[in-house]
Amino acid sequence: MVIASIIFLFGALLPQFLKSEKNIRLSSVWIAVLGGLAVFNLSFPVLFFAEPAWSDSWWMIDSFSALMASLIAFVYMASMFVSYRYIGYEYRENILNVSQVKTYFSLISLFALSMLAVVFFNNTILVWLALESTTLFSTFLVGLYKKRTSVEAAWKYIILCSTGITLGFAGVLLANYAGHLLGDESNFSSMTFLTDNAGSLDPNILRWAFVFIFVGFGTKIGLVPMHTWLPDAHSKAPSPISALFSGVLLNVALYVVIRFKHIVDGSLGQPDWTNRFFLIFGLMSIVLPALAMLIQNNYKRALAYSSIEHMGLISLAVALSPLGLVAAFIHMIGHTFTKSALFFGAGEFLLKWKTTKIEKVKGAMKYAPYSSALFLLGVLAIIAVPPSVLFASEFILFSRMFFAHWPLAVFVLVMLSLVAFAMLRLSLMLVFGSEDGKKMKVEKWNITHTVMAVELAFVFSAPFFLTSPAGLAFVESLVKTVSY
Amino acid sequence: MMQISNLLIQFLFIVAAAPFAAGLVRFIKARFQGRKGASPFLAYVSLATLFKKEMVFPKASSWVFRVVPFVVLASSLCFAFLVPTIFHSGNLIFTSDFLVVAGVLMFGSIFLVLGGLDSGSAFGGMGASREMTIAALLEPTMIMVFAAFGLLSHSFTIDGMMVSGLISANPFLILSIVALVLLALGENARYPVDNPATHLELTMVHEAMILEYSGPFLAMLEYASAIKLTVFSFLICNFIFPGTLLDPAVGISGIAAGIILGIIKVIAVMALLALLESVIVKMRFYRINEFVSISFFVAFFGMAAAVLAKSMDFISNYYTFFVALTILFTVLIFGNLRTRPVLRYYIFSSLSIAGIAASLGFSEIQDAAHLFFFAAVTILVKVFGVPFLIKGMLKKYDKTNQAKTFLRPASSYLLAAIILVVAFFVTIRIPLVGGIAWVSILFASIALILMGTMKMVIMRNICSQIIGLLVLENGLALFTLVTVKTLPVVVELGIFAVTLISVFVLSKLSTHIRELYGSTDTEELRNLID
Repeated sequence: MVIASIIFLFGALLPQFLKSEKNIRLSSVWIAVLGGLAVFNLSFPVLFFAEPAWSDSWWMIDSFSALMASLIAFVYMASMFVSYRYIGYEYRENILNVSQVKTYFSLISLFALSMLAVVFFNNTILVWLALESTTLFSTFLVGLYKKRTSVEAAWKYIILCSTGITLGFAGVLLANYAGHLLGDESNFSSMTFLTDNAGSLDPNILRWAFVFIFVGFGTKIGLVPMHTWLPDAHSKAPSPISALFSGVLLNVALYVVIRFKHIVDGSLGQPDWTNRFFLIFGLMSIVLPALAMLIQNNYKRALAYSSIEHMGLISLAVALSPLGLVAAFIHMIGHTFTKSALFFGAGEFLLKWKTTKIEKVKGAMKYAPYSSALFLLGVLAIIAVPPSVLFASEFILFSRMFFAHWPLAVFVLVMLSLVAFAMLRLSLMLVFGSEDGKKMKVEKWNITHTVMAVELAFVFSAPFFLTSPAGLAFVESLVKTVSY
Repeated sequence: MMQISNLLIQFLFIVAAAPFAAGLVRFIKARFQGRKGASPFLAYVSLATLFKKEMVFPKASSWVFRVVPFVVLASSLCFAFLVPTIFHSGNLIFTSDFLVVAGVLMFGSIFLVLGGLDSGSAFGGMGASREMTIAALLEPTMIMVFAAFGLLSHSFTIDGMMVSGLISANPFLILSIVALVLLALGENARYPVDNPATHLELTMVHEAMILEYSGPFLAMLEYASAIKLTVFSFLICNFIFPGTLLDPAVGISGIAAGIILGIIKVIAVMALLALLESVIVKMRFYRINEFVSISFFVAFFGMAAAVLAKSMDFISNYYTFFVALTILFTVLIFGNLRTRPVLRYYIFSSLSIAGIAASLGFSEIQDAAHLFFFAAVTILVKVFGVPFLIKGMLKKYDKTNQAKTFLRPASSYLLAAIILVVAFFVTIRIPLVGGIAWVSILFASIALILMGTMKMVIMRNICSQIIGLLVLENGLALFTLVTVKTLPVVVELGIFAVTLISVFVLSKLSTHIRELYGSTDTEELRNLID
């Protein structure tokens, strides 16, 4: 744990001492690989080799946090590889200068470190602190290009998320207060203490606590009435950052809310009360992006709305626990890999055509064949075309939902087909857009394509593992950590 | 006998120390302004010189003009004799009835006014009319201040009020003390009511009335005003620290100790006065009614709190007092549009939060160290750190410090009042009340959270949104105090560090916004709407 944090902090410091931009990028990638491996070293034993979960008053690892940490580390490494090309390209095009490159690589390490801190901390107040620092460290990543639109996005991002997370703090404090009333002076604020003693916590206090936590941290998840920062921040940030945001940051916030849901369920004695929140907000988060996506002409914003929609789907799955949780976990894994790959692909288009407007991208299939093909494949995966892992999760979700509330399930299916239609239409327009005869260089296979290909290969092969008995046992062990 | 002689000693001490006190203010002020300044003992020499000089009388003047210096000096000496300065009065306690004291003071100032009028010059009359206006406006404040003390101590004498040592048990009397300080500034013709150092015809009040006096008469009038200033400084000191009044029956060593204490008090008060006069400016004459009404309302609230405490047996602690201050300053933040006053009120409200923690620290034994630590870090971060960062941000765009808003100040204050009522009902209905000992702090924290959120909604200015976030954060700091009380030190420092970092990030970002948009109106941030 300490070694990993030292590596990340070193990664944050080193760019400040290097002069050449090439060295900064190269050293950052290597440190990222080292850091990622250190995290895998911590999380894989718990995740795959059935090592027992452990916790002390500061740290905690169980299979849920190990899963989140592995996802963070993986997407972090992937986006560092992509950044190596992306930032280098923008530096050569004089979009960024050396000091911006330094800021970028320092902040991205701190950002990843604070996300890891969220999942590894046991003290709930420290979890809150870490979640707040993810916002603080990533603000300048969103506003990296000093343009009107990007500082506006950064401003909305920090104001909305800080307010939300600060309100969430009220909920965390209330939960701590409930723990405090039990009389344990030393570790009432630890997550494990609250989980173990959930049954004896005062349910009235926890109800209030959950309202604050859900609305506050829900802002960071991007659930619908609180989502307004999300499309702006995702579309204006550099693409590797968008991938980190969409792939892991939203999930990290969701992780905290699910942890607290578990505590509150234990206190109330039944999960229905909290499930209602997830159901209502999840539904709204599916309906609004489905409609918004129909009128999009910006491919990065479309991807951002798709992230909101998938967060809605995961919330819906959480609301149908315990079986729904299986779907939620599989969906989380699948969404992380697919959406980060898509944002990497979007970054390639952005670098080549310098625009995020779909109609201005001309002749993508001709001049960027690899990116286009991989992007299309990613879009097929995200709309849950069968061998994709998202198909598996949505299948489980709907089988459960038809059983519980069938009219809702029909409604959500209609919405999902709207989303699928919009996504396909947009990506086909993007990839097969008309040419205007301007000659461009045809792209070569580069590191971004490799990263995307690896991720998509995982997305399309994972279902075969996850639906095997070993895979199901694996998901089952995850579900056990947070199901009532 | 012993008592009488000690009271004489106290009287003589005041009479002897008064010129030094007046000289000391001038000396310290000069030092604050970067000048070397004349020695504080010069005042004795200049008085002696004046006594040696010849006198000139205006032709138009009558016998009144010649009587005035004697009456004014006599009234000041009488004032010095009545008010307990070093010893409390023992058998002579009945003499310091506050109505008598006020009457003696009024007598002096009426004759001063007559002297100004009798000289027949235009300035004398102008000064006299101003003096009368101020004196008439200040009178209610004086009655209110002493009535509050009198009500609680069951005594009409100043001596009795001081001896009962009320201030430690009744925190709201701090309001009365503040009113007393304002009153003393007005009565002694100091800043911001009058400028004792200038003879500018448009502004002078006290100096205008004594303009025609010269020689020994001028010396008597100046001496009288120095005595008055000294006695007022003792009055304030003794109300705040009633323990420093000695019993008149002490021996020689007691007298020596009393005189040393007296010298310390004079030096401390004069230094504070000089500091105050160096940082504030004199008010226009037509704004003095604001100053006076502030002093009256402060005194009035002190009185109202005293009546409440008396009649309803209302338990008051220092922390409730600070809670009230926190809410008051936050309401001021809420309604104010200009950035600099808002920042100042933010500093005051953070100080009050530190005050809450510190006063809880005095009453709670077990967590005392932790609460003091909390108070200290709050002062460090929110009184120095955060305002420093925001000021740095403001420096770069001084022109636009008037925030745009969707609500006018009057309706904002109405909204604040509604929020306070809502917060009250939330507080009494919330299921926590049974467990939380300090309901008033819970109320304040809910009110602050609501007001901070609302401020961010109704204001259109970047800076106001930052302040709104900070108010919200202050509310949560209070919430931490009432719910968990003790956090590990590392965690607590982490929370403060996050506050600082977020203010830093926000101010940096707002600098970018201003560079790119040329304004800080958030309504202009509307490029991303698809």
